[in-house]
Amino acid sequence: MIRLFRKDLTLFFKDQRSFILTFLVPIILITVFAFAYGGIGDYSDSTDSLELLIVDQDRSGLSEKITADLDAHSVLTVETAGYDRARDLITSGDYPAALVFRIGFQDSVHSDGNLPVQLLYDEEQEPETWHLQSLIVNTLVSYIRRIELQKYFDEFRYMLPDSGASIAITPDILADMNESQIIEKISIVGEKKNIKLGLIQAVAGTAILMLLFSMASVGTSILEEKENGTINRLLYSPLNSRIILYSKMLVAFFIAILQLTVMFIFSWIFLGLDITINIKGLILMILSTAFAISSLGIFLASIARTRQQAQNLSNLIILVMSAIGGSMIPLFYMPQIMNKVAVFSINYWGIQGFYDIFWRLLPVSETYPKILVLIGTGIILTLLSIRLINRNIIKLV
Amino acid sequence: MELKLTGNITRLLESMIEVKSVSKSYGNIVSLNDISLNIRKGEIFGLLGPNGAGKSTIVNILNTLVKPDSGKIYIDGVNLATNPESCKMIMGIVPQEIALYENLTAMENLIFWGSLYKVPGSVLRENAGRILELIGLSSRKDDSIKTFSGGMKRRINIACSLLHEPRILVMDEPTIGVDPQNRNHIFDIIENLNHEGITIIYTTHYMDEAERLCDTIAIIDHGTIRAQGTMQELRKISGSRVIVTIVLKHLNDKIIKYVSDNISGSLIDNILNTIKVECQDVSNEISDIIKHIQLSGAEIKSIDAQDADLESIFLKLTGKKLRD
Repeated sequence: MIRLFRKDLTLFFKDQRSFILTFLVPIILITVFAFAYGGIGDYSDSTDSLELLIVDQDRSGLSEKITADLDAHSVLTVETAGYDRARDLITSGDYPAALVFRIGFQDSVHSDGNLPVQLLYDEEQEPETWHLQSLIVNTLVSYIRRIELQKYFDEFRYMLPDSGASIAITPDILADMNESQIIEKISIVGEKKNIKLGLIQAVAGTAILMLLFSMASVGTSILEEKENGTINRLLYSPLNSRIILYSKMLVAFFIAILQLTVMFIFSWIFLGLDITINIKGLILMILSTAFAISSLGIFLASIARTRQQAQNLSNLIILVMSAIGGSMIPLFYMPQIMNKVAVFSINYWGIQGFYDIFWRLLPVSETYPKILVLIGTGIILTLLSIRLINRNIIKLV
Repeated sequence: MELKLTGNITRLLESMIEVKSVSKSYGNIVSLNDISLNIRKGEIFGLLGPNGAGKSTIVNILNTLVKPDSGKIYIDGVNLATNPESCKMIMGIVPQEIALYENLTAMENLIFWGSLYKVPGSVLRENAGRILELIGLSSRKDDSIKTFSGGMKRRINIACSLLHEPRILVMDEPTIGVDPQNRNHIFDIIENLNHEGITIIYTTHYMDEAERLCDTIAIIDHGTIRAQGTMQELRKISGSRVIVTIVLKHLNDKIIKYVSDNISGSLIDNILNTIKVECQDVSNEISDIIKHIQLSGAEIKSIDAQDADLESIFLKLTGKKLRD
């Protein structure tokens, strides 16, 4: 088995294409995605550039006050425009959204009616819109609460003893209330070590995606050996057919471990992902992910009849799994239903396991369920592969 | 008088491979039908037959890739079914396809394939060097196989089966797609190996190869052995006769008519000015043939007599040409 293992490794490292696909391409992609997801550089820089258009058709004191408040916000740059101009600017992609105070806005606040406020936005710039919406809502809510409180005091003033003293809602009190009413957002994960979610997503998602491709390629090498006759030649020798199969699986597993290890070490050295946070967890996750994915690579080869068929099948399955599992698009950008569908992909369990370690900073024991799912998947696929490869590829007739 | 046999003769009389009543079917298709072969130590045994005749099935049964439905096979006295491992250790198989790792060098391929037979490292390296010399590729030992020509790959393909010093070499059509020069090189290698005492089973559908190389030939067609023996024995079995070719100085209609009427079974080629006649007993028949030709008025330029070749033997035995 060691001779076969050594031979396959030699062949792997001599094949420049496999080497590039396994190590170089993933490194480039991880770096690109880390930038794309904001995993490299300062997050706050990106939010500085939030721009909002204001269309003030009401031209009331309240709409002007809210506009001034929004403008004063440190992460917002506010510009005013007419309705049509605002629509054009959003359509052309220059601005992500516009807040429209329709005529009667101030009056409706005092009369308990629906607020004539609109938010025009570009769906393509939804992440920015989401941030803007949250800032606008907070500001509006604080004003409405303030007005409602004033109304409440005015309504019940007659119940107060006539001591000559008066209760007034002073600006100071309002300011205090205002602060307390704005929703305070505190991130409770990933803060401890200044970790960036985008970087973890880029490393884990891309590493798993590329691992799937390289393992499919390793699996396909069994069919290549079948086609060029070397599998038969191996069977002419005193080697047992099971040893040939197990050595292929061992090689796939080893290359998978190597690939994931190289990816994480690269991310540690060059992208600043601190892999020392939970070494034990990382090792267990690398081993279980490598096992599950290398088993999938061998399984895909075992169900195909030709190399071409295996490649087509692998591409299809890998792309679907990666799309639903969060390798291509992070799951936190996807609707809730996709999080339920994602559990049917290996990518999901791998990425979530790495999130547990690097983002949620959970102890290893909390990651065990994900590790067990990966190992279980690997065992099932391995057992199926042994049966299918013995029947389809190295069958003695 | 007591007859003393020399070592070589004794060896030739011993069986190296005995195939006894082996049959193999794939569904309704009978690939081998009650085949029996006796291959003696030190001989080159040819399996001759058209594509699909069952040659490769025999090879695959010998290399344990295919299990026969019935029958027994003994390799040097050892039952192949019960002791496949020990049988494999004394056999080298040269597959029909070039089964090599293209990205490995010639030496790496040899060392890898040899290592599967548990040959110690130092012996393996020594054997690899010696075999590369034998096949004339020692200067290319560090080049990767993908840089080799088809003929060179064929030679390495043979070499990879020799590292564990097998006593039997099974060669499944080892010259397919090889140019004449490399083909001759491969023949030399096979003859050298045979002189070293290796028993060789050689499957082919090229008559000239079988005729040149093989001591014994088995003709196989539709899964059955039609005949086996030396060329001489096959001629006798098939009833093939000596072909007498007479070249004339000129040929006209009168001569053609006279020869056709008086020499039965004669074949006249009026382009090459030749008459071919099959003879059962050349020494008795040749004088009559010459007399009739002279009576026809023709002048004889030359006369040539040749034994029936494998092609005509195959035709006699199977009723078809090998390429049909």
